[in-house]
Amino acid sequence: MTAVLRLESRKRVRGSVILLVVFALLSALYFSMFPGIQAEMDAFEEAFPEYMFDLFGIEALHTIEGFVAAELYAFFWSLLLAIYFAYVGAGLIAGDVQDRRMDLTLSNPVSRESVVLQKVAALWVPVVALNVGVPIVVYVAALAIGESFDPVALAMVHLLSIPYLLVCAGIGLVLSVFVDHVRIARGTALVLVFLLWLVDGVSRLDPDYEWIGDLAPSRYYDETAILVHEEYAFGDAGILLAAFLVLVAVSVVIFTRRDI
Amino acid sequence: MRPQTDADDPAAETGSTTESDPESARGSAVISIDGLTKRYGDVTANDGVTFDVGAGEIFGYLGPNGAGKTTTIRLLLGLIKPTAGTATVLGADVRDRRALTEVKSDVGYLPDTLGFEDRLTGRQALDYFARMRGDERREELLELFRPPLDKRIETYSSGNRRMLGIVQAFMHDPQLAILDEPTSGLDPLKQDRMHAFLEAERDAGKTIFFSSHVLSEVQRVCDRVGIIRDGELVALEDIDDLLERGGKDVRVELAESVDEDAFVTSEMIDVESVEGTVRFTYTGEAGALLEHLVRFEVVDVEIGDPQLDDIFKHYYGDEREPLPGDG
Repeated sequence: MTAVLRLESRKRVRGSVILLVVFALLSALYFSMFPGIQAEMDAFEEAFPEYMFDLFGIEALHTIEGFVAAELYAFFWSLLLAIYFAYVGAGLIAGDVQDRRMDLTLSNPVSRESVVLQKVAALWVPVVALNVGVPIVVYVAALAIGESFDPVALAMVHLLSIPYLLVCAGIGLVLSVFVDHVRIARGTALVLVFLLWLVDGVSRLDPDYEWIGDLAPSRYYDETAILVHEEYAFGDAGILLAAFLVLVAVSVVIFTRRDI
Repeated sequence: MRPQTDADDPAAETGSTTESDPESARGSAVISIDGLTKRYGDVTANDGVTFDVGAGEIFGYLGPNGAGKTTTIRLLLGLIKPTAGTATVLGADVRDRRALTEVKSDVGYLPDTLGFEDRLTGRQALDYFARMRGDERREELLELFRPPLDKRIETYSSGNRRMLGIVQAFMHDPQLAILDEPTSGLDPLKQDRMHAFLEAERDAGKTIFFSSHVLSEVQRVCDRVGIIRDGELVALEDIDDLLERGGKDVRVELAESVDEDAFVTSEMIDVESVEGTVRFTYTGEAGALLEHLVRFEVVDVEIGDPQLDDIFKHYYGDEREPLPGDG
């Protein structure tokens, strides 16, 4: 029984392609800028107050790894892509329930558990497309401007981001089985993911409050540590993966018990 | 040629069906509903609904819009949970999700609101359903109902959406079809085609559960009817009995005003007379009515089906108590 998976995968293709193109364009933009501004980065680092860098987890801007971590991964990947996954997750169930597509889907010999799991499984499309496409673009672009990029660190920054993105989708999914209106589910999911990201960044500014950010998924994915220091936090990724599975399980339990 | 009259209900002929499937004798319950109740806060959408639908019958579930027909259907499909009572569909209890999911390969469902994936073409949508439950009768159905398969569903008219819905509901050759307002949006020709198709399915031993707010439609194809109003089943009977009690809406235009006492008979109720035109509900035999009318100088006559509301009014009163005889 993979009909739902096939259909859902197909529905994810367009968004994934668009995002891949956006990331390719962004990469091209930043890499073409880098040789011109590399020398000025020291001055740049001095010009801004330190908390700005702490907020985004930025360092070593004069290296290609630090620059890419700051420009591409700290914002576009950790925040905007996370919001995209939350948005998609929030649409998975609520949209079908609202438009009565779920009535027809569930008139088939397919269980509600299976519908949720197949819809979640269809996230493989953006996960694979972006985590294969974007590192290739970044790697090639680095070579093109005469820089070399550590391929292992690059692979890790993507691999370890997958549990993070899935948790964001999971937050959306829980809202999706809980809320009847897809716009409310999506809006709540993206605001929530943004707030969690913000809480993580802001709480890092003061060691006394840093623990608050432990609840935020982005606390467990540090793109700068991976790219600049080659620190691969597999344990943190494991925590994210476990959180994702819990969110999916909660969604399944809610969805199988509710009226649609 | 046998005489073709309005009252010639094809349902009456099916007692002596010569169809090949002898196992499909009516009687064993395909749907069994027992005290089914669904409340939303203070609103009771279904209130202790109880009846059975036997194998090989077309059961009409009749009621005005908002009466609770769709609620019953969605309870039968397990989309919503009963507050009290239960039902079985092909032997599976609607509260037992696993059992209900299993029997769905033998159930066809045509919802009132057809939620297709609008970006897909009709063909892709049918392929999608076929992967889950088969499509051995797809081509045959597409000869009767012809939605534009290569166009995206978002461009479909409501009639085309309905036809695509009909094809998906029957293409896996289900034992039971649950149809929620199946002909809404179809043009009259397609409605006739649908009715003929449903009769053929019934004759082949399939069970059809069919909701409608149009009495004439139910009257034409159904063997038995359950009437629901305000969430309660108010009548459950053979269609012939219902029609007998329902009478006919008659409008007679006379050349000149006649003395009402001479014109009105005891079978006429709710008589309204304006100048030369008399409207009434006739509860007697059609032949007697015609014999009576020829005695007057009649310019025009219309004899039609009574409105569902009139049936309620005349025969069930305005009380909300279920009638004796409800299962």
